[in-house]
Amino acid sequence: MSSISDRRYTRRDTALFVLCLGLSIVGLFSPLSWTYGLADTLRRTALAPLVWLQTRAEEGRTSRMRFRRVTAQRDSAAYLAQFLPSLRAENERLRQLLKLSRRLSTGYVSAEVLHQPHATDGRTLLLSAGARQGVAPFNPVVAPEGLIGVVLSVSPQSSVAMSWAHPEFRVSAFTVGGNALGVVAPSAEGRNAEGLLELRGVPYRDSVPLGTLVLSSGLGGVFPKGIPVGTVTGTLREEAGWERVYRLRPAANPGSAAHVLILVSTRSFDLASAFPSDSQLEAMRLDSIARAERAESLAQAARAARAARRDSIQRTSPMLGGAPAVATPPRDSAQ
Amino acid sequence: MSPQRVSRVQVLVVMLGLIVLQFYLRPRLGNARVSPDFLLIALMLFAMRSGPGAGAVAGFLVGLIEDALTPARFGAGALAHTLVGYFAAWGRSVFFADNALVNAAFVAAGLWFRDLIVLVISGSEHPQLLTELTIYSPLQALTTAGFALLILITFRSWFSIRLDA
Repeated sequence: MSSISDRRYTRRDTALFVLCLGLSIVGLFSPLSWTYGLADTLRRTALAPLVWLQTRAEEGRTSRMRFRRVTAQRDSAAYLAQFLPSLRAENERLRQLLKLSRRLSTGYVSAEVLHQPHATDGRTLLLSAGARQGVAPFNPVVAPEGLIGVVLSVSPQSSVAMSWAHPEFRVSAFTVGGNALGVVAPSAEGRNAEGLLELRGVPYRDSVPLGTLVLSSGLGGVFPKGIPVGTVTGTLREEAGWERVYRLRPAANPGSAAHVLILVSTRSFDLASAFPSDSQLEAMRLDSIARAERAESLAQAARAARAARRDSIQRTSPMLGGAPAVATPPRDSAQ
Repeated sequence: MSPQRVSRVQVLVVMLGLIVLQFYLRPRLGNARVSPDFLLIALMLFAMRSGPGAGAVAGFLVGLIEDALTPARFGAGALAHTLVGYFAAWGRSVFFADNALVNAAFVAAGLWFRDLIVLVISGSEHPQLLTELTIYSPLQALTTAGFALLILITFRSWFSIRLDA
């Protein structure tokens, strides 16, 4: 009797195992639209409390980090304020310069990145903003450093973004000098290739120097022009004398991004000015200092002029004990 | 309520706690690729105390959750977790002892095996596969096994049951 029971038990186990395997394989080979739809439905229904919980946790973590950063900035500013008020003011100006959200001339939605402990986390990112916040498929996703990816699917409260680390990711790009145009894709060569990009399709005659910044070109209608994609770090390969493929160090890292901006309605904008390079930031800083110095010297000159005028009035007004402004003829000449 | 039923309820409470930790504590722990995978701990602890069929179903459900949250290659997580759940239950019933350290090592092996399957099915390139399997997966396996050990020691009496008994 017990052997029959054991056999039935084993058969049931095997049947369940085969059923689960079969369903998994069906999921693997289903069309993307089905699988994204199913994932969206699951996130909206059964997993909604878990996504809500993780969103709160991410918000808590980033809020804590932001609070610490702001506190540290406030403390250092307060420290500087005791000795160097002008430096404190410059610090404030620089902080404002670095706020990407203020620089963006277009609509955006900010979102937390809900990272998962999966080996493929970083290829697709679950974001805490969805259709209710105005997010739509194919909206670009950026970090303050540059391009992160593009929104793939959207549910009311969350969305899934394909990052540049995804094997199917492509973006049309050009070098900051404008001398080379190509397509950027994740690189499969070299060590630790997950973290590298490659600029393909650059004509052999167009050489790109090391350290050149590569920006999105705006072609294709998905990514607006001017988002930093990466920096050229070397030549990856040459295709029989007609094409060079360059290795890029990505501008932004999706694996460590905790907070991103989703750009909405951006197709006709040039966003290059929203992502200044280090040298541009330095130039802006110097320009800001020069402007502050000019303003200070103008204010000083105005103060000096006001003081001189006051002094002049005091000297010439009889009511204030000064001599009258109208010159009296000399006594000798009157006589 | 019978003692067996009480033990089952206790184990379910720990599983629920692990799910809450996965979605509320883990995001606060920093690097997602190294911090413990509480869902996998829940799956392994459940599978090692139940039959292979229940282990496979639990693995499939955990995989479905992960696929819905990281749909890089939908179905890869479900397949990997189904295999992990099934083999955890089957392996435990065949040759694993009731030792907390052995259980924790089994959790680590399960995590590494899960990552191997997910990466292969997702079509990862060789360099990434090597980096993941030699650096990140072992690190995450260590942290996950460490936490599993902590749970097994803390709730030693609760986990001394067979759910399929």
